[in-house]
Amino acid sequence: MAEKTARPLSVSFARAASRVAIRRAENYQADLSGLLFETLRELDPPVRGKTVLLKPNFVGLDALGVINTHPAVVGAAREAFLRLGARSVMVGDGPALERDSEAIVETLRLRDHIGGKLTETFIDLNVDDVRRVPLRTRASALKELYLPETVLRADFVVSMPKLKTHHWAGVTLSLKNMFGIVPGNCYGWPKNILHWAGITRALLDINSTVRPDFAIVDGIVGMEGNGPIQGTPKRCGVLVAGDDAVAVDATCARIMALVPERIDYLAQAAYLLGHIKEEKICQLGEAIATVRTPFEVLKSFARLRENR
Amino acid sequence: MAGGPQLPDAAKNSPPGNSFLEKQCLPFLTSAQNPNGGWGYRPGSQSSVEPTSWALLALAGAARSAALEKAIQRGAGWLRETQLRDGSWPAYAGQREGCWVTALGCLALHTLGVAPEAVANGVAWLCEEWPGEGGFWWRLRHRLFSRTTEIRQNYYFRGWSWSPGTSSWVEPTSYALIVLRNARGLSLPRRATLRVRLGEGMLYDRMCPAGGWNCGNPLVYGVAGEPQVGPTAWALLALQDHRERTENQRSLDWLAHEYEQIRGPGSLALAHICLEVHGRPTPPLEPALERLYLTNEFFHHVPVVAWAGVALSPAQPWLQWAPREVA
Repeated sequence: MAEKTARPLSVSFARAASRVAIRRAENYQADLSGLLFETLRELDPPVRGKTVLLKPNFVGLDALGVINTHPAVVGAAREAFLRLGARSVMVGDGPALERDSEAIVETLRLRDHIGGKLTETFIDLNVDDVRRVPLRTRASALKELYLPETVLRADFVVSMPKLKTHHWAGVTLSLKNMFGIVPGNCYGWPKNILHWAGITRALLDINSTVRPDFAIVDGIVGMEGNGPIQGTPKRCGVLVAGDDAVAVDATCARIMALVPERIDYLAQAAYLLGHIKEEKICQLGEAIATVRTPFEVLKSFARLRENR
Repeated sequence: MAGGPQLPDAAKNSPPGNSFLEKQCLPFLTSAQNPNGGWGYRPGSQSSVEPTSWALLALAGAARSAALEKAIQRGAGWLRETQLRDGSWPAYAGQREGCWVTALGCLALHTLGVAPEAVANGVAWLCEEWPGEGGFWWRLRHRLFSRTTEIRQNYYFRGWSWSPGTSSWVEPTSYALIVLRNARGLSLPRRATLRVRLGEGMLYDRMCPAGGWNCGNPLVYGVAGEPQVGPTAWALLALQDHRERTENQRSLDWLAHEYEQIRGPGSLALAHICLEVHGRPTPPLEPALERLYLTNEFFHHVPVVAWAGVALSPAQPWLQWAPREVA
């Protein structure tokens, strides 16, 4: 049985450059399956014969898909990983604020995009079986967490966030999306223990313990301002994907005209979890400058802007 | 059920023709019980306090049979074994720290009329377990360092948290208030009255401006939070002693208005229970549940099936009580 905790941590100078692809996608009616399949084929993630878990950011009952990762992107990713030879591709999330996951996936019409019976393809991580896992780093005082078996057993975990600003963390992308694996049945709705441990520190501990193997960010329509729920929709027209969640998030921040090094958790994640510097990220597809779309942030995060 | 009082009379009469309860909910719950007596969130998964408590409450409210009686006994036995020495319950057996499910464990055992000592210990733990916010030093630090535009809350009022030492939230506070209201026959700790007052105050403080509750963030950066069905139903059940307050009525109006839009069977069952307890008219529940069951079979989610069972059973005393005389 593969264990997510087995993936080694390494300091930044010891790592090879990361690869991040930026693809234009004007809307959710575009051929996202084809686009993601071509992107994944180029990045060549090692998923043949593996069990893949897609971890979208499902937050609440929002049929328009502005606060949630759009189900069309989730469906396209599932199809692409299956075409690449994955043995199975499950979709799982543990929404932080809304207990009724069935209502969320039905409001989103997830079934229309991922096919088959939802009971066989979607798992509510909030109520999955759990196992005690010692955290691999001690950034926070948490030391250990109970985490879902489905996540711990998956061979390959893909973080699939929405491109959004966040009123407490600055931005919420691939790393922050991993908060959703912490189960509500142990820690509640919201998973307030993570806030008390410090968002930045808890993020580092979770991502060092269960490292996402890959990230795909839904930036076709993102959210700016008072995200992750009450912000304003922001059309950006991109999908961003890569095998290094830190590099993917840093690239997304640059697309949003924010400085990744000024985002606390991202700057700290760069020590052990991935690359933040542009020269260490091999950019595929579109150049950042051609898709750059400045996002509004709350006053308290004005320091994140490029021109400050 | 050795030594314990009998189940409430209302539970002995399942309404005729309540086929979804008898054909789906009860068989599902009895077959989903683990060999150790507990229930997991899904059939075959690890026994856990929350699904076990809801399953027991649903079975307790249904028609009696020898098989159900035996399932209840085994479930109650697992709950008693799982309780920690300090009186709390952890989410799962083997975990070392109690949490929000303590209120549910107390509620289930008390409703079944078993293990009064275990219930009293659990209630005592609830009365001594304060959330992390609101103490003198916390308030001082908050006043000095926090960005005051983020959240508007009155930290004098404190309820219950999901995890020890963290903030008060609507659902765990509602569960604890329901237990304390039900446990009045027991000799409650001296702090119980204060905790009820502060907990009720906290719920009203966290109500969304237009009525209803979400997890407990009514206003962030000046923007009103959207209410949610589950937290609204639990808060209204916990605040039954104040039925005439405009906040309750406004929240009931929101819930009644939302009812037809509900997509999840768990939320639907909770909304139905709440509206019935408050005497608000509701459309027949059974056809709606049957329709939703065909969609995803409730994701085989034990608490959701249990809530559906409770909603389809006659009103149960733990959910509905005579109004308290408020001084």
